[in-house]
Amino acid sequence: MSGLALPLRALGGSLIEFAHTLGGLALVLGRILRALVPPRFDRDQTWLNFFKVGVKSYPIVVMTALFTGAIMVIQSGQYVKQTGATGLLGWGAGYAVLAEIGPVLIGLMFSGRVGANNTAELGTMKVTEQIDALRALAIEPINYLVVPRFLAMVVMLVLLTALGDLFALIGGALTSELILDVDWRVFFAGVIDGHLLDEFFIGLAKAAGFGASISVVSCHYGLTVSGGATGVGRAVNAAVVTSAIGIFVFDYVITYVANRFL
Amino acid sequence: MSTRRPRETEQPGDRTLEVGEATALLPALRMPEERATVLRVDSVTCWFGDHCVLDRVSLEVREGEVVGIIGPGGVGKTVLVKLCTGLLEPDSGRIDVLGNELGRTGQKDRQRLRERIGLVFQNYALFDFMTVGQNVAFPMLQRGGYTAEDVATRVQERLTEVGLPKVQHLMPNELSGGMKKRVGLARANINDPELIFFDDPTAGLDPVTSSKIFNLIRLTQSHRNSTCVVISHDIDRMRPACDRYVLLYKSRVYFEGTEADAMASEDAVVHEFFRKNEGIGA
Ligand SMILES: Nc1ncnc2c1ncn2[C@@H]1O[C@H](COP(=O)(O)OP(=O)(O)O)[C@@H](O)[C@H]1O
Ligand SMILES: [Mg+2]
Repeated sequence: MSGLALPLRALGGSLIEFAHTLGGLALVLGRILRALVPPRFDRDQTWLNFFKVGVKSYPIVVMTALFTGAIMVIQSGQYVKQTGATGLLGWGAGYAVLAEIGPVLIGLMFSGRVGANNTAELGTMKVTEQIDALRALAIEPINYLVVPRFLAMVVMLVLLTALGDLFALIGGALTSELILDVDWRVFFAGVIDGHLLDEFFIGLAKAAGFGASISVVSCHYGLTVSGGATGVGRAVNAAVVTSAIGIFVFDYVITYVANRFL
Repeated sequence: MSTRRPRETEQPGDRTLEVGEATALLPALRMPEERATVLRVDSVTCWFGDHCVLDRVSLEVREGEVVGIIGPGGVGKTVLVKLCTGLLEPDSGRIDVLGNELGRTGQKDRQRLRERIGLVFQNYALFDFMTVGQNVAFPMLQRGGYTAEDVATRVQERLTEVGLPKVQHLMPNELSGGMKKRVGLARANINDPELIFFDDPTAGLDPVTSSKIFNLIRLTQSHRNSTCVVISHDIDRMRPACDRYVLLYKSRVYFEGTEADAMASEDAVVHEFFRKNEGIGA
């Protein structure tokens, strides 16, 4: 009996913690939505965050995308060489990148770059009482800090994913040309013949979902930091892990819905 | 009793005011009992976990007063200030600020109330993503209705008041602790709030600057007729600034009154805190 009590208690503890986090996330999301209609958020901060998020993350998105496209082509290279089905190269790489690998990898990189940075920033503001200072100056932190970040992350991740798609295809085409000796025009013809517009839009829908979950998660962990600098470190860590879980859950749900109804 | 003294060079508009007229204009000249209550803390209790930080604390601050709150470090002075500004919620008891019961104000009303209150944080709490000038201007810009010129002029004026006329373009992390404190003071002051809380405004400052800060608090009170609540352990330097003191000790209000009351008291703890030359606690 007592041998079972300890793991059971641990399990109960994690379940309670899980419910606690989920509740906190729902609360942040609810407050964001309430500040959106009617709009009560700070416009200047929103523009500033669009700019910051975009500038901060486009280099890593371009890098991630170039390599992703290249790797997809190299992976299918052996098969294409054996069969001579070069027309499939563009379709295969394009399908995988646009619908699945592109948004997920870019989302994970984005979470590591922008999400982690956001948790650290808000967490530091929390432990140095800057959040309290805002409230004391009659400014609602949700309207001034959180909603601008939410909007910036959702919109920018969609735009960055579109940009990433383009660079992934360029990476794929370059690799075909340079490594597999398949003309880049053949690669792009394969992409276009594949009718991948649906996949492209599914990918963007995923990016929007990932952006929303990354922003809600990173803001929640940032605003609930306690315990000084160590607490900030712990929160950043938790935010990155939870964001990654959020990305896979959203990926599953959107993929399922898209396959079912499209 | 006639207060009208004949003067040789009496100008129009230069006549001496009758006592009644003067006190109507300047609440500070009225007897304390006649002035409106600006802050009333009524039997407030606050727990952190199983540690009772404040136990049935009550106090009252009237319009135009400068009240000093003293007590050992960790007794709950900062917690009390955060309760009074609605940054923390008490577990029981009632707090009235500027005629509003804090526990019953909605988000809108509370926001409007906060525009009338200033708060200087113990740990500065300057926005580290803004310059000093932007920090001080922030409350004014958020309130709106001022031209850029108004804002610039007033920011410069208030920074000069705290002895920092040349730091506008620096970032907060380029300042020393004492300078940050004074910038926090300028920021809390910029909208001329009716009630200002100073949480340990002179901690870590040199004696000369400390004295200046307390003078400034006194000036703020008399020029703008703000009511001030000052937390400090620097009893010697806060003497010229404060009208009245509240001593927090062991989670309770241990003593309340003027310095003369404290000196007349027989209590050893009260004497310890009001003794000259040394302050206790942090
Ligand atoms: N957020 C918090 N969580 C837990 N305990 C706290 C918190 N804030 C303050 N306390 C406790 O409340 C007590 C009073 O703190 P504080 O008001 O900062 O003291 P001081 O009188 O020095 O300003 C301390 O014992 C502190 O440990
Ligand atoms: Mg304190």
